[in-house]
Amino acid sequence: MTNSKYLVPLLALLMLTMFPLVQFFSNQNYIIHLLLYAFFYIIMTSSWNIIGGYGGFISIGHNAFLCVGAYVAGYAAVRYGISPFYLIGLSGLVAGIFGFIVGLITLRVKGPSFIISSIALIMIMRIVFDHWDLVGGASGITLPFNSLPVQWSKLPHYYSFLFLALAAIYLNWYVRHSKFGLALRAVSHDETRSAVAGINVKMIKVTAFALSAFLIGSAGAVWADYLTYIRPNMFLVILIAANIVLMVILGGKGTVTGPIVGTVIFILFNEIILTFFGATELNILLTGLLLVITLLYFPDGIVGSLKNKNILPKFLDWG
Amino acid sequence: MIYILQVIILGLCLGLVYALMATGLTLIFGVMRIVNLAHPIFILCGAYVAYWLFVLYGLDPILAIPIAAIVCGVLGAIVYKLVFEKDAGSQKYSEMTVLLTFGTAMILDGTLSFFFKNTQRVTSPSYATDAFFIGDIFLPTAQLYSGLVSLSLIVALALFLKFSTLGVAIRATSLSRVNAELVGINVKFVCLFSFILGCALAGCAGSLVSFVFSFFPAKHFEWIAVLMSLVVLGGMGSILGAVTAAIVLSVLASLVGAFLAPSWSTMVFFLALFVILLIRPQGMFGKYLS
Repeated sequence: MTNSKYLVPLLALLMLTMFPLVQFFSNQNYIIHLLLYAFFYIIMTSSWNIIGGYGGFISIGHNAFLCVGAYVAGYAAVRYGISPFYLIGLSGLVAGIFGFIVGLITLRVKGPSFIISSIALIMIMRIVFDHWDLVGGASGITLPFNSLPVQWSKLPHYYSFLFLALAAIYLNWYVRHSKFGLALRAVSHDETRSAVAGINVKMIKVTAFALSAFLIGSAGAVWADYLTYIRPNMFLVILIAANIVLMVILGGKGTVTGPIVGTVIFILFNEIILTFFGATELNILLTGLLLVITLLYFPDGIVGSLKNKNILPKFLDWG
Repeated sequence: MIYILQVIILGLCLGLVYALMATGLTLIFGVMRIVNLAHPIFILCGAYVAYWLFVLYGLDPILAIPIAAIVCGVLGAIVYKLVFEKDAGSQKYSEMTVLLTFGTAMILDGTLSFFFKNTQRVTSPSYATDAFFIGDIFLPTAQLYSGLVSLSLIVALALFLKFSTLGVAIRATSLSRVNAELVGINVKFVCLFSFILGCALAGCAGSLVSFVFSFFPAKHFEWIAVLMSLVVLGGMGSILGAVTAAIVLSVLASLVGAFLAPSWSTMVFFLALFVILLIRPQGMFGKYLS
């Protein structure tokens, strides 16, 4: 029994690593796109979970960091001709520093005020980026295409996202089980008491926020290269952040595997809807409906609810 | 000088409309401690009611106010019964409730977008393009009317809260839920009533907005942040605060719009929100949120 805890994730990882081999036989770019899209969202949900799940600071503006990461990489790629893949770390770093500064301001407030401030953050960034001529203003930046043949062209992004997703999941697990994470969860319960217990409340909060911004920013660099075209209204819309929040809550916030489960289920759900109903506005409606139903009936999410009933499969039980 | 005065007066008229948009929101927060992110979508629903009444039956948007209010009030009652009744009253749920209201906003947004698509709409009653002059100052009739109607509705609301029994009950609940319950106020009913009243106010604001701004379903995301900035700046739950904040910020925004660039003007609201959270999180007149 204890083995299945490691066996299933390792098998899954092995299969995901080997999956692009199918390209030798037939072109499965659609599935590869779907998988890398899932990895991309897993990076975002897992990072969001650090501050939103463990820290209890629900941000509906985390796509701001995605935007920062994408623009750092995009600007450098166009201006200096550096491939965004070399800039993953730098994009993450810039997004992390940006997150640190924003966190210093917005993490002073808790609860609803914080949620509102996170919405204001994307609104402000939207106006700034729409007017910032250096990075193309509202019309954005066009990045160069990569020169790989079509069946291999998605693979750099696939493996980068896979790697980043693993890093995000590991970080999530680490935060859950480290002293830092313990402090973070203490802060989310009661800031005053945590401060009395000797926790540097402000630093803990802001560091967690910067960490999640760092990972999302790194993902932004790859995402910019994948899309080959970035402009403010692709990143700075509330719907992306709403999806992140929904995925985490659906899976179970404050758990290691919750964000992964939520992301996978949501992306499958979304893809089924797209197949049967087409891309209509009903998508927004169904996303909202799913959010409301989850919040009303399973506020602990899938992983959380299963855990409460003690029927969580071993391989999902990572804390 | 005349130019500055002109800009200030236009900002003032808009500010009164913003104030009406924000009063419902702050009322709901005061009583129920719910940050209702769905408020702007109720405003949009009111705007669509006014729009279709105008297009189909030629009804003036100002006369459509009661109908829009009733429609939004009923919609609010349904939403309250379905979504919020379960949790009404407990204090621990504030963050989850914000997300609930956000989900509600997305449901209504999706419904509106499905039926009306992302077309920019605006009602155009005969006075919408009219204007008159006082000396050298130019006054667009639409802005003036909407400002005056908003002002009278806000005054009516204030009088209602001040003097009617139900109004006193609402204020008492908003001061302290437990104590209100102790003196025999039916807090559950007060919550339901103020939610409906807040949504009805959103409907009123909607029909005024329908000829002042052009609107489309996704517009409410922008309004969320604008209205939140007013409510947070004024102090959550304080109607006087929200009205003051609306007027001050709207005048500032029109000054920025006139002297910098129109597209920067909403920045005033968002920056104000950041600054106020930084300096005085409880707002000018309000109480702490968390």
